[in-house]
Amino acid sequence: MNLSPFGIGLIVFSGVLFVFLIAYGFKVHHGMHRSIFSSPYTVWMILFTVVPLFLIGYYAFTDVNGKFTLENFANFWDSNREMKRQLIGMGFSLEEMGMTARGSVNVDTLVYSLKMAFGCTVICLLLGYPAALLIADRKFKLGPTIIILFIIPMWMNFLLRTIAWMSLLEDNGLINSLMTRLGLPKLKLMYNTRAVLLGMVYNYLPFMVFPIYNALSKQDVRLSEAAQDLGANNFLTFWRVVFPLSMPGIVSGITMVFMPSVTTFFIPRVLGGGNTEMFGDLIERTFLTADNWNVGSALSLLMMVLILMSISLLRKVDPEGEGGSFV
Amino acid sequence: MKKWVRGIYLPLILLFLYLPIVVLIVQSFNAGVSRARWEGFSLRWYKELFASPQIMRALYVTLSIAVLASIFATILGTLAAIGINSMGKKASSAMLTLTNIPMTMPDIVTGISLMLLFIFTKVSRGYFTMLLAHVTFNTPYVILSVMPKLREMNKYSYEAALDLGATPSYALRHVILPSIFPGITTGALLSFTLSLDDFTISYFTTSPLVQNLSTLIYSEARKGIKPTMNALSALMFVALLILLLVVNRRTSADHK
Amino acid sequence: MEVSNRLIDLQNITKIYGETEVLSDINLYIRKNEFLTLLGPSGCGKTTTLRIIGGFEYPTKGRVIFDGKDITNDPPYKRRVNTVFQKYALFPHLNVYDNIAFGLRIAKMDKKQIALKVGKMLELVNLQGYEKRSVDSLSGGQQQRIAIARALVNEPEVLLLDEPLAALDLKLRKGMQLELKRMQQALGITFVFVTHDQEEALTMSDTIAVMRDGKIHQIDTPKHIYDEPKSAYIANFIGESNIIRGTMIQDELVHFCGQDFVCVDSGFDKNEEVDVLIRPEDLHIVGTDVAQLTGLVKSVLFKGVHYEMIIEAGGFEWKVHSTVMAPEGSQVGLSVIPFDIHIMRVEKEESDPGGEE
Repeated sequence: MNLSPFGIGLIVFSGVLFVFLIAYGFKVHHGMHRSIFSSPYTVWMILFTVVPLFLIGYYAFTDVNGKFTLENFANFWDSNREMKRQLIGMGFSLEEMGMTARGSVNVDTLVYSLKMAFGCTVICLLLGYPAALLIADRKFKLGPTIIILFIIPMWMNFLLRTIAWMSLLEDNGLINSLMTRLGLPKLKLMYNTRAVLLGMVYNYLPFMVFPIYNALSKQDVRLSEAAQDLGANNFLTFWRVVFPLSMPGIVSGITMVFMPSVTTFFIPRVLGGGNTEMFGDLIERTFLTADNWNVGSALSLLMMVLILMSISLLRKVDPEGEGGSFV
Repeated sequence: MKKWVRGIYLPLILLFLYLPIVVLIVQSFNAGVSRARWEGFSLRWYKELFASPQIMRALYVTLSIAVLASIFATILGTLAAIGINSMGKKASSAMLTLTNIPMTMPDIVTGISLMLLFIFTKVSRGYFTMLLAHVTFNTPYVILSVMPKLREMNKYSYEAALDLGATPSYALRHVILPSIFPGITTGALLSFTLSLDDFTISYFTTSPLVQNLSTLIYSEARKGIKPTMNALSALMFVALLILLLVVNRRTSADHK
Repeated sequence: MEVSNRLIDLQNITKIYGETEVLSDINLYIRKNEFLTLLGPSGCGKTTTLRIIGGFEYPTKGRVIFDGKDITNDPPYKRRVNTVFQKYALFPHLNVYDNIAFGLRIAKMDKKQIALKVGKMLELVNLQGYEKRSVDSLSGGQQQRIAIARALVNEPEVLLLDEPLAALDLKLRKGMQLELKRMQQALGITFVFVTHDQEEALTMSDTIAVMRDGKIHQIDTPKHIYDEPKSAYIANFIGESNIIRGTMIQDELVHFCGQDFVCVDSGFDKNEEVDVLIRPEDLHIVGTDVAQLTGLVKSVLFKGVHYEMIIEAGGFEWKVHSTVMAPEGSQVGLSVIPFDIHIMRVEKEESDPGGEE
């Protein structure tokens, strides 16, 4: 490793601090409160979470010369038409992303990402709720096993799992060879928005199922029995009792699917074949390819604000954050 | 009727989840390179896997970082949880908010913000920075695993130990740690698996010279993934499955 | 009082949390072999006082003297006192034996000695043969005994007990009260006991300190506190009572309910306004011809040993305990002997009694 003196300083400083604080924590003086134990963590979080966030803020509001500017945000709305032209040159398919040749790339990408995330969330909810409901049924003995079956796929590297879809969806992939065998025409399954959506649903579906399953399986059976005792039929019992009580699970399911969906990164590149781009890819490209930290930071900041807003909105529905504990 | 729906619906969903994994594992035993054509059973890719220095190095990086990061995160997180648990309401809720930041932030923002920090402080990115990043995103999960165990503890247990003559350090080692041990194991395992699977944050905090499996797969994805990778992930998948079975067997034995 | 007799001496203890003064200027001494109870409603500061003696809290002002030495700032593990905690705080990961041996192991006692002492303790608390049991498998009463054994095995000079019986049901509690008293007398250890249960305090203690709003209101033997409470507050808190406003005509003569009554108290100003206390069992139902007061029986409740009647007489509703029942609606006479009339100085309303948590 070649390190600057400053870098070495930082490493040595944090190392010494870590050891010192832990040693200190163990030898606490009796009068000292146990809260001293959390001080290494506090220092760590300030160094590696709070300071980096401030750096994003710093870059977002400065230009290349380090002067204060709002340009980075102005650019966001006011588009880089030039960039768009370049994108077309690079082979991006504007139609695929529902873009027009006019307007801001960033705004278009953001709208596209939000649409995709929304679509993904709705599909996950529609697929996941019935699944969770069926698994959480107390009479169903296999329920806990099936839930573990939902966790296991997540251990396989997510990049490889996504790439594995390529083998299935390709023009000469497994699905199409099956179609040919059956004498059916080949389908164009890859490199489009549908494929990206499929990849997203595939990756995020378990995150919808867990919290809903949690909320449903915690429910007191007697509540349903009481509803039926009071004359509700099966549908009304579900609609008036089971469903409203599973709301915290639904809310945290939506949070856990929607948040990562918006910033999806990599999936569009593989399954969309570079025809589409989502906000995560845009941020990555702005930093690493376009090498523009200031605009990249501004984009990240917007992303965070968006996410914080959605979270606080969702917190209002589920103030306890109850369903959130899938781990 | 409900049984009937369940009998069809759940297998379909599971098929959807397992299809790519099955494909991936089958491919790892395929004699040919083709992703779609079966050219006979072979262990060729498994042999090539162990012969590839690149993959072996990436495996070493992935595993060593997962082990080190989960150890550091477990120490840091357990101590933090003990501290937070003994704080007043205001201070502890402030600490928990701080803990929630990296968990609610998208991975890409966490990764980029750390990258900016390392560039800004002129620390060249590589193994060490990746390790730092992994400790950073793992620690909150350890805290969340340990916290409930601490809350379950009788709040006078610690004082009772001091009352019986234990020094704070003795009370910590002999009373608090044993009571929250299940939470610590959960946290350590969780951070190990999170670390093993992480791509986004590693991608931004390392250099192309030091790659873990995820970043290696990513850089190869453009050229086309060789089935050696499938062979490796099939192996790791099985290893994790065994780990889970062992842990489950042990915890269920504890309950008896 | 001889100074050497004082084992623990709390001097001018004040404790402030943030803005609230939990204890204000407490002075209290505890003698060797004494069973002292800190009695008061929740939030009165009794537990804080105990925790200051135990070393879990440090006073904002004041000193804690133990056996002549200042231990104000000593940590709990350096004090020769042990505590039985609320809800016991047994270590769930250790079995009964290891829980009791915890303190002895820290003291580096040798194994044989530990086994001997733990065995003796289990005998003392009547739980022989429970060594290997996990503490979770024990009933509340058994856990309570283990908590006591765990503290006593260290042979502390003082045992602090923080509402140790609060989680037990009534019958068990009664049994434990007697057993604790027996242990205290057998071992000759000083007990400092915290409770909000006045009956418990009266049964067990040598001395009771009644606390309210961070202050000690009265400290005395149970009998004195019951018979001669300093104020209406204490009279109400300890035992049942009839308290009525009256005027002191002169020494040993008090006026209430429109009549003069002979009493035994003196030392008040002439015509001073006073609180008059008459315990329900001290009011006797007599024929109207010889009665000091006559009134109407408004309600009758059977309480097992006695009847509790509410009798309106002289413009006041008297609570009367008697083994003789007067039927509801009947006219009866009441009388009280001078010795049973207690005169108390009127308390100035310092703070709103309902203001505490």
